[in-house]
Amino acid sequence: MASILGGIVETVAALASGFKVTFRQMFRPTVTENYPDEAPNFQNRFRGLHVLQRDEAGLEKCVACFLCSAACPSNCIYIEAADNTAEQQISAGERYASVYNIDYNRCIFCGYCVEACPTDAITHGHEFELASYNVTDLIYRKERLLAQKTTTDQTAAGDPALSMPSGRNQSAS
Amino acid sequence: MMGETVKIRVDDRELEVQRGTLLIEACRAAGIEVPSFCYYPGLSLQAACRMCLVEIEKAPKLQTACTVPVTEGMIVRSNTEQVTQARRSMLEFLLGNHPLDCPVCDKGGECELQDMVFRYGASESRYGEAKRHVEEQQWSPVVYFDAPRCILCYRCVRVCDEGMGVGALSVVNRGVHTEIAPNHGDHLECEECGMCIDICPVGALTSGAYRYKARPWEMQYTSTICTHCGDGCKTTLSVRNNKILRGNNRDRSGINGEFLCIKGRYAYDFVEHPSRLRQPLIRRGRELVETTWEEAIGTVAAKWSEILARRNKAANNTLAETSEKRSEGFGVIGSNHTTNEENYLLQKFARTVLQTNHVDHHRTADYAALIHALANESAEQPSQAQRPPLARSKDIVGASAILLVGNNPTEQHPLIAWNIREACRLNGARLYIIHSRRIPLLRQSHRFLPLGLGHEADALRHLCGEPEATQALLGETPSGDNVTADLLNDFRNRLQEEKDVIVVFGDEITGPDVSLLIRMGSRLSGQTRYIALGDYSNSRGASDMGLLPHLLPGYRPVGDAAARAFFEDRWKSPIPATVGLSVDDMVAATLQGGMDALYVVGANPLKGRNPEDFCGKTFLVVQDLFLQETAQAADVVLPAASAYEKSGTVTNTCGELQRLRKAVGVLGTRTDLQIFASLAAAMGATLHPSQPEEALEEIRQMVPEYNIPLANVLAGGAEAVLNPNGFKPLAAPAETSGRVYSAQDTLFTSGTLGRFSNILNLVPERNIRKEPGPA
Ligand code: SF4
Ligand code: SF4
Ligand code: SF4
Ligand code: SF4
Ligand code: SF4
Ligand code: FES
Repeated sequence: MASILGGIVETVAALASGFKVTFRQMFRPTVTENYPDEAPNFQNRFRGLHVLQRDEAGLEKCVACFLCSAACPSNCIYIEAADNTAEQQISAGERYASVYNIDYNRCIFCGYCVEACPTDAITHGHEFELASYNVTDLIYRKERLLAQKTTTDQTAAGDPALSMPSGRNQSAS
Repeated sequence: MMGETVKIRVDDRELEVQRGTLLIEACRAAGIEVPSFCYYPGLSLQAACRMCLVEIEKAPKLQTACTVPVTEGMIVRSNTEQVTQARRSMLEFLLGNHPLDCPVCDKGGECELQDMVFRYGASESRYGEAKRHVEEQQWSPVVYFDAPRCILCYRCVRVCDEGMGVGALSVVNRGVHTEIAPNHGDHLECEECGMCIDICPVGALTSGAYRYKARPWEMQYTSTICTHCGDGCKTTLSVRNNKILRGNNRDRSGINGEFLCIKGRYAYDFVEHPSRLRQPLIRRGRELVETTWEEAIGTVAAKWSEILARRNKAANNTLAETSEKRSEGFGVIGSNHTTNEENYLLQKFARTVLQTNHVDHHRTADYAALIHALANESAEQPSQAQRPPLARSKDIVGASAILLVGNNPTEQHPLIAWNIREACRLNGARLYIIHSRRIPLLRQSHRFLPLGLGHEADALRHLCGEPEATQALLGETPSGDNVTADLLNDFRNRLQEEKDVIVVFGDEITGPDVSLLIRMGSRLSGQTRYIALGDYSNSRGASDMGLLPHLLPGYRPVGDAAARAFFEDRWKSPIPATVGLSVDDMVAATLQGGMDALYVVGANPLKGRNPEDFCGKTFLVVQDLFLQETAQAADVVLPAASAYEKSGTVTNTCGELQRLRKAVGVLGTRTDLQIFASLAAAMGATLHPSQPEEALEEIRQMVPEYNIPLANVLAGGAEAVLNPNGFKPLAAPAETSGRVYSAQDTLFTSGTLGRFSNILNLVPERNIRKEPGPA
């Protein structure tokens, strides 16, 4: 009898110790993310697709100093610079980037460009779904990287779909 | 010139240096760092920046190493705490009002202030006040000035005044308001050379052509030779994405050091001019229409072969009555811009495949006469032949006396003018000028002999001691100067006292006058050396390579059977023995309908004429960069590559061989060398060699003057072409008709290329600059 009771206690103890982790987790908050059914959660410092920022006046922050492209270890940033004119003020400095491409075939999301930027123009956003069937789609132009104008004139920023860095699954188009 | 040396001690190192050397130079030569902003070798001393402070024993405070000459027993310390502190403080002062906008500043990455602060500066700024801001100013299409970035080193002021002899920049205001200012209040009127931009250690002076385009580390650098005037400056082209963004020569590696005039620095933009020919054109009816290379080459080859066959047949039955009027067959006009290899191949093609001596180019200096006169001279006076009688451009700087006859180097030969000014300024050279105009170099001259236009030969006769010539020079010149016997005699006597004179002459002296000049020169003591000034980057090369109706490569007369045999043997083809027609004669014959075919390579002999008059007069093939008058009259136009788009060698007006390197490519064009090869191939003829390197090798075998060591040339240096055997007297110099004349380009024009350079057309000086008045 005693041996039967002993057996039961042992079994229960074994089960309890076996399910210890399971039961403990049952009462803890869930960390599993239901990606792709639900949007994933990011830490603030996650390094995703770059965003070229604008200043309070809506001007581009980038002054085409080429430091990000110089810092880039995979050499994937291509810039062409041009003068701001009185009629067309694109950035706050004398010069702006007339062309700014990042080649996401090569970018390793190291964040060196962000470190290098003296004007805090380039930052990492949280967009990450960049897969594409076509490598040329992975060369993102300035229009695609630029932050949306948050100030007054929406239309001046061009096609909002293009300038919206948080849009999803656009790269396949 | 080895003077006395003195011993000094710097940082416990014993140095032995020439007495009088500046301390900064002595230290640098020994590899001891002394930073500087305002000190610049070749310019006057300024002592403005105080970066070069060092400790000198027994001196009460720190001394500026850039102004202190070394003295015996001097004890110097360059790395003490006090010196480091001084440098740091000087930089702090400079940065006090400096905008520090490196991210937008064009100089970022090659800025001396950045480097200096990085190396010697403090890591943090203690300066919290508002900085003085002044808006950026545009002084000219190519010069921009950003006052806050200026560190007042005065390099720009000095290079413009001393180096350029222009003096367009100066300093205004005092204290914190001190600024550099241009000569016309808010804008510049100057030579637009860009030397001030180049020499500025910071981003205060920036170039209109290059600003805000790229970063120094983003570009590839190709050092090549400027394709404009005959001086052959080395220009380093900065290229990004097959586009030339700027030209300079900061490493001072060429014969020109860092000098470049506006053309070498900015006038590369013709390369991508929208009117550039990028496809062959062929005449259908009255129109020139675009076609393929195959069709263009095929058409030319077929037509030429047909003409050749007809002429051969005609030659075989010479007895038959020719009722037709006499035809001259083929005419070939070459270029002043194409490479030596191309010139050599072109005349070889003309003489062997096309069987004609009607080969010429626009002759801008009488090199042939000079070479022949020198050869005969050295035969008479063998003692003269120790040193090569042709001076190199850098020799001018070291000359004790320079005689300039004609030409206006300031406009036509900016590098020669720069060298002459340097000789006068740094070495006290005495400049003698014989001229019919009041040229800008008179400012540097020691003696001036004014004369009426066309009297240069009289002046030479006067110098040779012919009294009738002296008479011809006497009297009043057009500008009212009275030329007296005293002035003439004084000029002659002073020149007579000089030793080792360098004689520089322009197109005023040609033909027999050149012999006169050499006779005059050989009466002077020491070794007289000569420089003939010809326009355009490869005029000398075109002459040397035999693009002449009467001379084969190396100035050997076509009439000389031995010379012909030498080339016939190598080229495996007979060469016609009669002297050909000059450019003008060919053009005249064409107008009369007397040429079967005319082949014009990189030249515009119909400049200023109506192309309509020439349409249909002959089978005209033009190979050029732009649709100029000659090309408009052509039956076939072949788009050629410019000098910046190919490799090869060119010879400057002083006879220095230098290497061209390909900087960019223009889609649709081919190099002249490639075109010759495809034409010959389409005609079923062989034309070797087809590569520039092989062509140069053949030139070296066939033209002894070019058989010089190449290592230096290949490495980007210059080597003088000369005859290793000394100048041998040649058979009586072959005379020919044909003018020798300069195109009289100014600083802002450059023949066809100048017409298609936006920058050259943009600068206002092109229209407002005054011609020098008569003497
Ligand atoms: S993003 Fe920043 S680092 Fe890159 S070019 Fe623009 S300003 Fe310079
Ligand atoms: S001059 Fe030099 S230090 Fe000054 S802003 Fe330009 S790059 Fe920076
Ligand atoms: S461009 Fe040349 S001539 Fe003009 S101010 Fe500068 S240095 Fe003087
Ligand atoms: S503009 Fe440049 S070269 Fe001229 S004084 Fe200022 S810093 Fe020196
Ligand atoms: S001096 Fe002559 S070779 Fe030199 S940069 Fe000017 S045009 Fe070119
Ligand atoms: S280098 Fe000596 S004071 Fe400027």
